Amino acid sequence: MSRFPEFAKRLGAVLLLAAPVLSAPALAEKAGHYGYGTPATAEQIAGWDIDVRPDGKGLPPGEGSVEDGEYLYEEKCALCHGSFGESVGGYPALAGGDGSLTDPRPKKTVGSYWRYTSTLWDYIHRAMPFTQPESLEDDEVYAITAYVLHLNDIVDYDFVLTQDNLTEVRLPNEDNFIDEERPDTNNKRCMKRCKDPDQIAIKSEAAAYVPEGGPDALYSEHEPEEDAVVTTLTGSGVYERHCALCHADGIGGAPKVGDAGPWADRIAKGMDTLYRHAIEGYTGDDGIMPPKGGFVNLPDDEVRLAVDYIVEQSQ
Amino acid sequence: MQKQRELDQLIRSVAESGEKLPVNERRNFLKNGLALLGGAGVAAAARGAGEGVPPGVPSWTRSLGSSVNTNPYGMPSPHEAHVKRRTVEWLTADKIASVSFTPLADLKGIITPSGVVFERYHAGLPDVNPDHHRLMIHGMVDRPMIFSMDDLMRFPSVSMIRFLECPANGGMEWRAAQMDRLQFSHGMLACCEWTGVLLSTLLQECGVHKDASWILAEGSDGSHMSRSIPMEKAMDDALIVYAQNGEMLRPEQGYPVRLINPGWEGNTCVKWLRRLEVGDQPWYHREETSKYTDLLPSGKAREFTFVQEANSVLTNPCPEKPLGKPGKLWVEGLAWSGRGRIKHVDVSFDGGVTWREARFTSVVEPRALTRFGIEWDWNGNPALLQSRAVDETGYVQPTYRQLRDARGSSSIYHKNAIHTWKLNSDGSVVNVQIS
Repeated sequence: MSRFPEFAKRLGAVLLLAAPVLSAPALAEKAGHYGYGTPATAEQIAGWDIDVRPDGKGLPPGEGSVEDGEYLYEEKCALCHGSFGESVGGYPALAGGDGSLTDPRPKKTVGSYWRYTSTLWDYIHRAMPFTQPESLEDDEVYAITAYVLHLNDIVDYDFVLTQDNLTEVRLPNEDNFIDEERPDTNNKRCMKRCKDPDQIAIKSEAAAYVPEGGPDALYSEHEPEEDAVVTTLTGSGVYERHCALCHADGIGGAPKVGDAGPWADRIAKGMDTLYRHAIEGYTGDDGIMPPKGGFVNLPDDEVRLAVDYIVEQSQ
Repeated sequence: MQKQRELDQLIRSVAESGEKLPVNERRNFLKNGLALLGGAGVAAAARGAGEGVPPGVPSWTRSLGSSVNTNPYGMPSPHEAHVKRRTVEWLTADKIASVSFTPLADLKGIITPSGVVFERYHAGLPDVNPDHHRLMIHGMVDRPMIFSMDDLMRFPSVSMIRFLECPANGGMEWRAAQMDRLQFSHGMLACCEWTGVLLSTLLQECGVHKDASWILAEGSDGSHMSRSIPMEKAMDDALIVYAQNGEMLRPEQGYPVRLINPGWEGNTCVKWLRRLEVGDQPWYHREETSKYTDLLPSGKAREFTFVQEANSVLTNPCPEKPLGKPGKLWVEGLAWSGRGRIKHVDVSFDGGVTWREARFTSVVEPRALTRFGIEWDWNGNPALLQSRAVDETGYVQPTYRQLRDARGSSSIYHKNAIHTWKLNSDGSVVNVQIS
């Protein structure tokens, strides 16, 4: 592979030299009907062509051991998936759940549900680790894949996964996928006496939703529409619409509302400074506060209301 | 209590005085009042009193408004700020790979405004520079090509109104009624006018090999979302979309270019689309094996269940839109089918014993949201409200029992059962499931 770009360059040079010799009709034949776009070179395709199929097409050369995978997994995966693939904080479990697919609460993992080993390699390579996709070397992907297989008792601890043996590693649930068979219901368009009214019972009921404005919103008190109206002139309202975008989650270095720490120094500068920075914009060490958060038409008064609200929430 | 009442009175009088002032003064007045009173309750008072209803004249009738281009890109009235996407905190492990829901209860007609179309990200919302974005088509083609956005927009364009629905829409309801409002029970749903170039046009431009049968679509976000699409769909109505409701796609919807497979699982409609590889078999990637497969009671799972079958729901009343006083009421809702046009929608007010056909109040496009309505004389008693869609193939939206008999209750995806709202005598509405 490493020789390829050089080869391509040379080939390109040859083509360039040859180009004037080619007749115009020969080039025209090569183009599509509209002729828009640019032909993709092999090198360009190689940069993006990351997919892997169950037959192994797309797997790059490389290898990784369960042992190497164990260290990598602990460092890069265990935080969310758990040291044993058991899942942490709602992220997907990777191991366990054998024989649970017919249970009322099936546990779908690589070992209990996934169909092909290639899927695991492909997914780790394309999307993991969650915060740094496409950061792993190919050998690291082989190693982590091997370790996840080991967590599911599919390969032994001394196993080394390679480009050549990956397609031979079969997952237990491979044969339990079937093709689409729908429609699979056959309701009839009955219009009258479609069921016995005495047999109707409420089987389950969601928690009652109380519309914004509280129970008073229901008609027995007054018209519901009135309570749906939200005024602009509250700090929380301005904040929700214009500031929460960044300040709720701390996007772009924005101090999060409710985090007393980062706000203490800012609040110490005094409200007038805070108002001014919010209205005129400010560049700090952590990031940039655009004037009025980018909502340049927001009246100054409303910005101040939002600042008041944020300060109130963050002390 | 006494103190609270006094405070309420004070707030009301502040708001009433404010009503008599011109807009700018009123803003200052209210602001000062707000500072004075700590803010609580001002909102309620401002709207409860002195609205300028006849014979009174409101403040905006007696003063100048703001100039043209105050908002070079107009936004909804601040009074509509409650119409927004919302999330269900417990549903996902984080806010990056997560979902927000369309506020269906407050929308009109069949077009979902671009700003409130539900979001579904697997690695967050990327900030894509359209000048640097490319769509690559390669694999089993005569001419592997790279298209810039300018290239794509030179091709003949096509516009179509089509719904977009996450196959997990309503997935939380498989075992029992769970979500407390329409936004969460059905809100992974939207309908827009999509504009772009037919995928078939691009494929013909590249020269697809005769034995090619599948296409891998891949996004440029961190998840590199990838789905295998059968060639028949690609050559039928699949659309490479760059515009939505008359303007370029919103970032949340895949700016600058996405795939739309009309009537199919939203997940196949890959956003921030960067690559299409033509092949002769499916790729069996994570989102079409581990996810987006329908687990049956037998332990077997259906794969490639692309179509979103006929479905419907009442949007008024619903939990967010409780009913007013008894009497003549206009009841309405939305119906849609991934297999084509909606043919009939029937509505029941007695839990499915008797049904009456509703009438369509919107255009009826294939694979699009269709709005229906029906007049009802409510006597004030509790009632069980349902709607049932029939599409042009003759398929009738199933009951929960029929759906569970066929698929159990662990399949997560493609829940399209007839939905029941329980209407209480006070006008409140609750999501229930009935026998």
